Amino acid sequence: MVGVKMAAAAAASIRERQTVALKRMLNFNVPHVKNSTGEPVWKVLIYDRFGQDIISPLLSVKELRDMGITLHLLLHSDRDPIPDVPAVYFVMPSEENIDRMCQDLRNQLYESYYLNFISAISRSKLEDIANAALAASAVAQVAKVFDQYLNFITLEDDMFVLCNQNKELVSYRAINRPDITDTEMETVMDTIVDSLFCFFVTLGAVPIIRCSRGTAAEMVAVKLDKKLRENLRDARNSLFTGDTLGAGQFSFQRPLLVLVDRNIDLATPLHHTWTYQALVHDVLDFHLNRVNLEESSGVENSPAGARPKRKNKKSYDLTPVDKFWQKHKGSPFPEVAESVQQELESYRAQEDEVKRLKSIMGLEGEDEGAISMLSDNTAKLTSAVSSLPELLEKKRLIDLHTNVATAVLEHIKARKLDVYFEYEEKIMSKTTLDKSLLDIISDPDAGTPEDKMRLFLIYYISAQQAPSEADLEQYKKALTDAGCNLNPLQYIKQWKAFAKMASAPASYGNTTTKSMGLLSRVMNTGSQFVMEGVKNLVLKQQNLPVTRILDNLMEMKSNPETDDYRYFDPKMLRGNDSSVPRNKNPFQEAIVFVVGGGNYIEYQNLVDYIKGKQGKHILYGCSELFNATQFIKQVKCVFHLLLLTYPKLL
Amino acid sequence: MAVDITLLFRASVKTVKTRNKALGVAVGGGVDGSRDELFRRSPRPKGDFSSRAREVISHIGKLRDFLLEHRKDYINAYSHIMSEYGKMTDTERDQIDQDAQTFMRTCSEAIQQLRAQAHKEIHSQQVKEHRSAVLDFIEDYLKRVCKLYSEQRAIRVKRVVDKKRLSKLEPEPNTKTKESMFSEKVSQNPSKDSEEKPITEEYPEKIPAEAQPELGSWGDGRGEDELSPEEIQMFEQENQRLIGEMNSLFDEVRQIEGKVVEISRLQEIFTEKVLQQEAEIDSIHQLVVGATENIKEGNEDIREDSKIRLQD
Repeated sequence: MVGVKMAAAAAASIRERQTVALKRMLNFNVPHVKNSTGEPVWKVLIYDRFGQDIISPLLSVKELRDMGITLHLLLHSDRDPIPDVPAVYFVMPSEENIDRMCQDLRNQLYESYYLNFISAISRSKLEDIANAALAASAVAQVAKVFDQYLNFITLEDDMFVLCNQNKELVSYRAINRPDITDTEMETVMDTIVDSLFCFFVTLGAVPIIRCSRGTAAEMVAVKLDKKLRENLRDARNSLFTGDTLGAGQFSFQRPLLVLVDRNIDLATPLHHTWTYQALVHDVLDFHLNRVNLEESSGVENSPAGARPKRKNKKSYDLTPVDKFWQKHKGSPFPEVAESVQQELESYRAQEDEVKRLKSIMGLEGEDEGAISMLSDNTAKLTSAVSSLPELLEKKRLIDLHTNVATAVLEHIKARKLDVYFEYEEKIMSKTTLDKSLLDIISDPDAGTPEDKMRLFLIYYISAQQAPSEADLEQYKKALTDAGCNLNPLQYIKQWKAFAKMASAPASYGNTTTKSMGLLSRVMNTGSQFVMEGVKNLVLKQQNLPVTRILDNLMEMKSNPETDDYRYFDPKMLRGNDSSVPRNKNPFQEAIVFVVGGGNYIEYQNLVDYIKGKQGKHILYGCSELFNATQFIKQVKCVFHLLLLTYPKLL
Repeated sequence: MAVDITLLFRASVKTVKTRNKALGVAVGGGVDGSRDELFRRSPRPKGDFSSRAREVISHIGKLRDFLLEHRKDYINAYSHIMSEYGKMTDTERDQIDQDAQTFMRTCSEAIQQLRAQAHKEIHSQQVKEHRSAVLDFIEDYLKRVCKLYSEQRAIRVKRVVDKKRLSKLEPEPNTKTKESMFSEKVSQNPSKDSEEKPITEEYPEKIPAEAQPELGSWGDGRGEDELSPEEIQMFEQENQRLIGEMNSLFDEVRQIEGKVVEISRLQEIFTEKVLQQEAEIDSIHQLVVGATENIKEGNEDIREDSKIRLQD
């Protein structure tokens, strides 16, 4: 049954789809078929920074090579003419890009041109290119022109962000600053909607949209609904007709798109975390699936007069091929450390096996006994040799994760992040606190000033009642003593006052973390991960606000928080503004998009939530990804602008 | 899904053309434009490099087609019993092997030549990179086509080995009757039967060794024309034992053959790896030599320096 097959293919990940689309584009816009005795075809790939950000998490340089790409170059770089080679362009249709492409045409850089625009190009810009092509008599060389609708970056099978290059434009700061004009807001919203539209075109589905009222998310929802509606009405050019949906249509049901605004939950971006991927993002320089480490080689006993040792910079790509990463990116950190140790041990065992064979081989020809031992050693040797590449790859991954996990562990130990995590979990779940907040803040050993600020902000946000003036002064003094800048606090105060949530501060569920007590060592001797003094905390599932909202909407539960969310269905003929959903059945697929920025903690929470539900899938997206440091910076900025715009406010 | 707007583009080109005409702007921008047109009309000078690269590719393509065309006949094991259409003698197969090998050799030489010449006269880093990548692709293509060849050759060799094995050892039902015949014949005629020659050639040591005691024990009945029931039974048992031994020997040989094939495969892998390492070892050698030189010079300098210092 076709329907059944489609349901099975339904949850093809967004990463797969985007990769397939890219590969087709690289194959001269023709579906790619593997042929082991096919003739090689070579080409040159030209991209702008947007294109680069989209391609780099999905295709490695080797994979580009496999598709026949000999060179990949930035559009705005010096490029020499390379005769007799077709060029594939993958760029945004911006003014400068178009100008540069026209220049390329005039300079006759390549043999033929395959132009692919990341998002749709306007008619007038297309005419500009036509003009340049005519002037250069190069019209015949422009072989194909395509609108790719790929204007979003996929980081995981089920996670995407809007963009990286111009994320300033759609950042939290940009959306929330008080001095924004209407036109500027329009631009920001248009950018977001364009990307979301591209996302749904690539996904091949028209969602049902729900959003909260009175927020930026609502503006996005209205615009997106309008854009989808317009496209569906235009029967000739609709991007969602049957054949374009093809093999990838979602199951019988359409997906749910939940648009939320960052402001419903400001505690999660500040939260200290305990899972591997979120930790790496919080503590190290982690960006578009690449982590940059600074290795400080031991500088203890450098002889006098020697040049100071340079710190090695290493960067690693954390890809879908990395099995260890895929398995453990959501695991609590102690588990990760243990698993790395286990992998290392099994690798060593295999290595020893290979070495043993080597010594047995040395006995060859000496006596009958050895020769008979050889009988199945030949087979063993064959399998050992053929498994060598696999073994080497394993070693590389183990090294990678050892380095990364060690770096993370150093931060944890230096800043006592486990203490913060535990405490914040307790605050957010409203269990009794065994230590006073003041103690932690005043403790000079625990954490950077920023860590303390984060902790206090979470406390402030989650508190049912605002702390008394006296208490507040005490905290403020402690924070200032610890070296914190108090601006974020002021901002949060304002936010709390303004936000509708002020009366009912977001509750974070009612389960707690269990501390397994202090463990002096997690692993046996010889382990590199000496977690001395680090608590082995076990995460218990608790739903963050975003997850809760999703749960209500997806399962059609009635809840005062989500009952008055707006409802949009672009496929319906009449714009339906009611909040009454027509569809009464729970959704199988959902996409959560946070306008204003998101992070890995939220993502992980959603992943954990959906793990328990058979046959349901969630995709998580946000306008940008930030860790707590970056978020606080933005908050400070907004606060400054607030002060400038409304000096009388405070 | 991507949207093909090539037609839209062509329409835009037409629009722009008509608009330019209407505005009086000459298409192609006047004198320069006409020159460009002329330039365009003459065939674009195809790079020497790329035309030769394409030549090599088409050669390899021919080789591939040649191999694929004859592949079916080549690996057809039963061609000696099929009609003329499917037949391919061994000499023909050898011919194909030889031709393919010479072809492959010429192709890889051509690639080496191209590689040497590719980097001359070119100053642009990008073009150099592009060319070496193109050559890598061509080499890879050649490798893939060579794999075709080596696969079918491996199949042929295996079939030959199998055939030899089958022809040396008779299939089981025949073995039994032949064994009984053998034992009878032994009683009548101690010399070995010509039919059994292939088997006995194979296991000369074992059979005489086994045969001797048997001959000895049958020595009594040698002269008799009829065999008593006990003797028949003994002969039967003997037959069974011999059959068992033959079978186990047969198994052993099969195992050994398997090992040999594996070993040859391993050797292939090792050769490949060693060749790969050759380049690395060469470069290491260079580095070491350079380093030794540097150290020597360094020592000299230090010596001179200390001499000078002492003098002061």
